[in-house]
Formats: sequence, structure tokens, C-alpha cells
Amino acid sequence: MPHQVALTLAANVPSDKVESLKQLLESMGDGVANGSVIDFGALDGVHFARFIVLDETSDLRGEPLPAKLLYLSDLDISRERHLGELVDLGSDGIDRLFEHCDGYPEGRRRTRDERLAYLRRHRIPEQAFYVNTIGRSRRQIREESELRDRLEDFLDGADGLRTKEPSEIRRAVQEHVEGDRSLRWALKPPSGLDFGFRLRELAHAIAMPLLLLVLLPLLLLAAPIYLVLLRMHERKDHSPHDKPPPELAQELAALEDHLVQNPFTAIGFVKPGLFRRLTLIGVLMGINYVTRHVFNHGNLAGVKTIHFARWIFLDDKRRVIFASNYDGSLESYMDDFIDKIAWGLNIVFSNGFGYPRANWLIRDGARDELAFKDYLRLHQVPTRVWYSAYGRLSCANIGNNERIRAGLRGEADAEQWVRAL
Amino acid sequence: MNELNDVQGLVARGYGNLPSARFLLLSIDDPRWLGSVAAAVTPADQRPDGRALHVAVTSSGLRRIGLDAKTVGLFSNEFADGMTASHRSRNLGDVDDNAPEHWDWGGPGTPQVDAMLLLYAADDAGLDALEREHAGPRVLARLGTSNLDEHEPFGFRDGISQPLIEGLAKKGPPEITLRFGEFVLGYPNEYGRYTDEPLLDAHPDLGRNGSYLVFRQLRQDVRAFWRFLDEATRKPDGSSDPARRLRLAAKMVGRWPGGSPLALAPEGHDPALADANDFAYHRDDPYGARCPVGAHIRRANPRDSLDPKPGSAKSWEINRRHRILRRGREYGSGATPDEALRRDAASADDEHGLHFICLNGNIARQFEFVNNTWLNSPKFAGLYDDADPVVAPSQPYGGAFTVQSDTVRERVTDVPRFVSVKGGAYFFLPGIAALRNLAERGT
Repeated sequence: MPHQVALTLAANVPSDKVESLKQLLESMGDGVANGSVIDFGALDGVHFARFIVLDETSDLRGEPLPAKLLYLSDLDISRERHLGELVDLGSDGIDRLFEHCDGYPEGRRRTRDERLAYLRRHRIPEQAFYVNTIGRSRRQIREESELRDRLEDFLDGADGLRTKEPSEIRRAVQEHVEGDRSLRWALKPPSGLDFGFRLRELAHAIAMPLLLLVLLPLLLLAAPIYLVLLRMHERKDHSPHDKPPPELAQELAALEDHLVQNPFTAIGFVKPGLFRRLTLIGVLMGINYVTRHVFNHGNLAGVKTIHFARWIFLDDKRRVIFASNYDGSLESYMDDFIDKIAWGLNIVFSNGFGYPRANWLIRDGARDELAFKDYLRLHQVPTRVWYSAYGRLSCANIGNNERIRAGLRGEADAEQWVRAL
Repeated sequence: MNELNDVQGLVARGYGNLPSARFLLLSIDDPRWLGSVAAAVTPADQRPDGRALHVAVTSSGLRRIGLDAKTVGLFSNEFADGMTASHRSRNLGDVDDNAPEHWDWGGPGTPQVDAMLLLYAADDAGLDALEREHAGPRVLARLGTSNLDEHEPFGFRDGISQPLIEGLAKKGPPEITLRFGEFVLGYPNEYGRYTDEPLLDAHPDLGRNGSYLVFRQLRQDVRAFWRFLDEATRKPDGSSDPARRLRLAAKMVGRWPGGSPLALAPEGHDPALADANDFAYHRDDPYGARCPVGAHIRRANPRDSLDPKPGSAKSWEINRRHRILRRGREYGSGATPDEALRRDAASADDEHGLHFICLNGNIARQFEFVNNTWLNSPKFAGLYDDADPVVAPSQPYGGAFTVQSDTVRERVTDVPRFVSVKGGAYFFLPGIAALRNLAERGT
């Protein structure tokens, strides 16, 4: 079973090419990718993918920042293999997109190796990456969905089972699966995570707390100073409550709610100064630790509707991007944020410029409902080209399908299992 | 203190004692009319005995009377954009046959609705009198109602579960008691915050003591409803099975026609529970063996069953942030299952439905959220393909209905659509002083 990886590419786009690049993206989708230019469905192991354009802007000091083309994908295969597939299967599309960017090879220099080298050069690292369930591949998700559909059809025609005990019902379903060659695979567990990967993760899971333990005396000494500095910074915070312009709100809304899931992409400036930058680096390290080792099975601190999420620094850590794939409407997503993990949003975003005022890094902030919602909308980037490999499955469905399959092997209590059907 | 003398009385009561009601869709020619009608509006601190009158305005109405775009933009986006913005139509399920271009009113091909008068009286004569006295501007349409004795046209008792509001007369359990600001602008809401409102330098301002009023004319296809149920529950020999038919209908609604909730009365109607509202799903029926997870009332108000901790005070707290005050009235005559089944073809008698009206302080978080995330979403509470079996437009998918049980579930597929949208708009129900202020601003 593969573990999932994130890939992020970012390339600068000269001013005179932004318009034509935007037109190209517009031809590629209206919230959901239509398969033209890049056929994501033909690529191996892609869960979600998106292309976005960031407009030219200037940073908080007034320094200009060029426009950018960004590509984000959530993968079952290594980045190297995925990049290889992009240039092999989608070379025409990759050319059409990236020829708008600075330094893309031209003419005879546009060979497979040159393209690959270009894409590699433009990869940027993720500071933190959340996977709903580490190790669950696209293939597994699709196969288990098929399994569930077939079992439901079987149950529709099996009225006689209704008077049976749960254990008998399970036996009957197991027999049905055993008797059907095309379903028999489901009796075996999905292949486990690769040993080397688990070992590396275990080492990381242990090493970080150990390092913290070693540094503990130092951290304890620094804590009061940190808190004083934090409060000084928080008092100076500028937290305007700006509403997003109606045109932006409408453009964003028009791209949403086409599938069960939606993409979310937001970008903001990190508050000026070393203090906020270091705080954010530390916070994202912490998030990366907990998403890898704690919140790695269906639940991000109480929110169960996120498939993938990532946090990325851009422009020498002057900007930060948060991108995710979630179930349901943006309104319900934002309400989940406020109701369930306001503290978790505050700890990251309160280092972002213009965020509703937070106190002690975790208090208030997102709890100012309307200011928070307007802040998110204002910082959202329209995502026109977005691919989902299973647009009709919610996280809850995927998790339940996995339980249905596990129950076929006799795991879990029969009564509970029958309820999952 | 809640300024009940300035809040329109519809917030406080639905006028069960005034069985006749009529809604007039208006075009405003002269903003001064708003000022003149303000004097006749029934405030929330009075319990009217013979008649009541309310007035609500649309954002296009505000523009028509001369408010500039900036001022209108101070209201919520949902209200300012209107119900028929295209992304909103998708969110609400107003697509295909339900799309605004097919509506009788409120859609693109129909005259612009600026305002609505809501009239309540003891009888039709009382309504006529009210209309004569106050419907000054051009009346675009009259939406009549009928009194079906607290039942909606499919035959189920309706309007039983309503949130209670702090500071009003009726008291009840804290789990279902909401802050005044959840419905009325100018007061703290369930987040302890003030919902955005148009705060102007002028006093009184436009937002204070106002509420957003959502109006949707929902046609109910009573014949199709009972026909579908009849066919889905036939005996092996092909004959109707009225008991199973009724059971499936109750499973879809979540209450028996007489009103008792399945969560408490799983086997049949219990008259003693006809008004019962003191129940909880996680506590009484966590897996839906009594009231299915996808039943209409379970999704319209999931009570204690919401994540992250079903059954907890936190779950109720989250539920309280998505409540609406329902003030709708039925129209048409309704029909018993047998009457509905006897009719072979569409006839004039088939025009039944609900003038759905609800009040809320934040349309996106209350009405739209309930409609989209709870009712229309086939993914509600871990379901797969089950949109609301009674009210949702079942497309592009979502036409399954799962009846959970202690053993293998029953599943009904291809549930058709029984409710269609005939018209609708987002209104603002201003405070009474704000109505006068609007009249002055417009002129």
C-alpha cells in the first residue's frame, strides 16, 4: 500500500502572458477540470489535482511579486513518477501551460529531459501535509466503493435476511463475496504500508519528542519571553473587517458545489517581522508532526470532512498558502472550522496579515464568525481547474466502505458491521 | 433589552389564532407608502386579536426606492444578490424544472418584486379589509392560503418543532432556546456576536430590529407522493397495502400524520405524543432504527446527533446555530391518501403546497445551510445517495431512501421529486422605525 505524497509546482508568469494563461485555464474547466489540456484521469494514482494562477501583487513592503502558475496534486505514487507521467502522457498540455512561464524550454530544447528538469526545478516543498487516511490509495477507494455498491444491490434482493441474526447476515454476505470471482479480492486486507516507510515514520514520531525533551529547559526559559513578545505583537495587530468585493464572492461561488467535494485555496501574507515568521515555521512543524502521527486516520482534530490539505510557504516565506479538498459547501466547511477547530486555525492564520484578532495565539480569531468568513473569502483563490478521482464519495463514505470490507474478514462486531451496510 | 415594540410581530408569533392569511407581492411606486404602512404594522409586543399586518422588502425594492448600491451592500450578500443568483440556485437545488426561469414569480421573466405585505385575519372578509386599506402600490400577485388545521398538504402535522427565543414569552429547555440576535439584527447571536447589519450614521438605522425573511412557494405533488408510496409498498399479489404505505410515509417524514415522532412512537401514532418535541436522536435512536437517519425531520433539525460529539451539549450548541423560525402557510385543499390515489390525472385540485416562510438573522448560516447541507445533501450524516426523501430535488443523484433497522436495512431507490419551487425571494423584514427611515431615505 502506498503512502500519499503531495506535489506542488510554482512558476513565475511574466505580466504579458497572464491573460492568455488565464484564458487557457478557463478552457480547462469551470470549477471541475474537463479533461482538456491535461487528462488527470489518465494519470496514475492522482486523488486530487488543481491548477491556479496567482495574480501579480506587491508584498507588505511594496515590493512587486510576479504572477504565478501553481500546480498541486495529491498522489499515491512518487513525485518523480508523477512528473514523468505528466511529461510523457501530457507533454502537449504541460507545454501549453508552462510555456507561459519564465524560463520554460523553447524550440529544440523542449525535450523530455528538459521538461522534466524544468518541472523539478519548480517544485516547492510543503510545510505540512494532511492525508485523511495515510495509506489508502485511490485504487482502494474506488474498489471498495464498487464493493459497497455491489453488496447493497445484493441486499436489496435478499429480503429473507431481514429475520436473521447479524452473524448469519454476515455469513451470507461473506458467502456471496466468496462465490463471486470479481469480488473475491475484498476478502483479503489491503496491502499494508511499506515497511521502510513505517520505520521512517516511527523514527520521526520518536525523534521529534526526544528533541523537544532535550530542548525543554531552553524552551521553558524562553516561554515567558515568547508570551510577552506574542502579546506585544498581538496588541499591535491590525484586524480590519473587510468584506470581499461582490464580484470575487460571485466568481468563487460559481466555481463551487459541482461535486460532493470542493477545493479550497487561500493565500495570505505573513505578518511582517521575524517573530511571526518564526512562530509560523514552528507552528507548521507542529502541524506536520500531528498530521503525520496523530491525525492520520479520518479525523483532523474533530473535522472529518477533509480528504487532503497542505500548507505551503511562498516567496521566501512572505506568503503562505492553505489548500484542501473537503466535503460539502464552503459555508459548512467554515462553520466546521469555527465550531470545531477555531484554535487550530488561529494558531496558523493569526500569523497572517488581516486575520481577525486572536489572543494568546489560539483564542478569539475565528470565533468572530463573520469577520473570519469574510477573511477567508477575501483570501481565496478561484480554482477553475480541479480534478477529483472520486467526486461522489464523501470522507464518511470512504471510511465506511473500508469498514465494510474489513468486516468481511470478520473484524469488528457483526451487529455494528450490519449497520454499516 | 429586546425592543419588541419596534420588531415586527411575525418574529414573536405565527398567528395560529388568525387562520386566514394572504401574501401580496408588490411593486413600490412611491417609497412614502412604506412610511404610511409602518403605522399599521403589528409590533411584537402586542398579541393582536383580530388582524395583523407585516411588510417586507427585497434588495431590488430597496434599490427601486432610491437606496444606493453601497447602502444595499451593507446588508448580507445573500439578500443583496437575491435568491436567484445562479450559484445560489445550484446551492438551493433550484435547477432544471425548478430553475427560476420557470417560476411563476420572482424569476427572471417575471415582474420585479419590491415588497410583500403579509396579511393575517380571522376570516377572508378581514383580509379583504386589510388589503383595501393598505395595498396602496401595485399588486403583482396575491398568494392565498388555506387552513388545513395545522397539517401540510401531504397530510402530516406541521410546525411542531420551533426554536424558542430568549426574551419572548414562551419558555422551554435551554437546548432549543436561541439568542434573540439569531433572528433579529442588533442583538448578540449564538456566537455571542452581532450579525452584520447596515449601520448608518442616521438613527434609527436600517438594520436594527429587522430580520431576513425567506419566502418560497413550494408546490406539493400530493398525487405523486401517495402514488409512489403505494407502488413501493405493494403486496406480493400486487394489491395496495395501506398499513405499509403509511409506515413508509412516516419513515420518510419522521413523524406519523398525527404528529407523534417516530423517535418516540416507532410502531404507530400515539395521540399522547402528537405535539411531542422533547426527544433526541443520539440519545433515543442513535442508528435510525426508529426514525431513519435520512428522514425529513431528522435532517431538518438533527438535535443532538451532530459531530464531533453526538449526544453532548456541544452537539446541541452547533445545532442551535442552524435553526430557522418557520412561519409558512399552506395553500390548496390537501387530500387524503385515498383521494390522492383516486385521481388519475392532473387537475385543478392538484394545486397544493406550502408558502414556506422562515425568519433568520443570517441566511447563509441558517436557511441556506439547513437547505443545502442537511436537506439536499445526499451525504448528510454519512449517507451515500439519500437526499431528503420528501422535499429535496433528487438530482443529479440522491434518489435513494434508506430505512435503517436492527437488522438489514430496507432501501427504496428512485424516489421521485414531490416538491417543486414555483417562486421565491429573499426579503428583509425591517424594524418599524426603520420602515419610516426607509420611506424618508427613498424620497
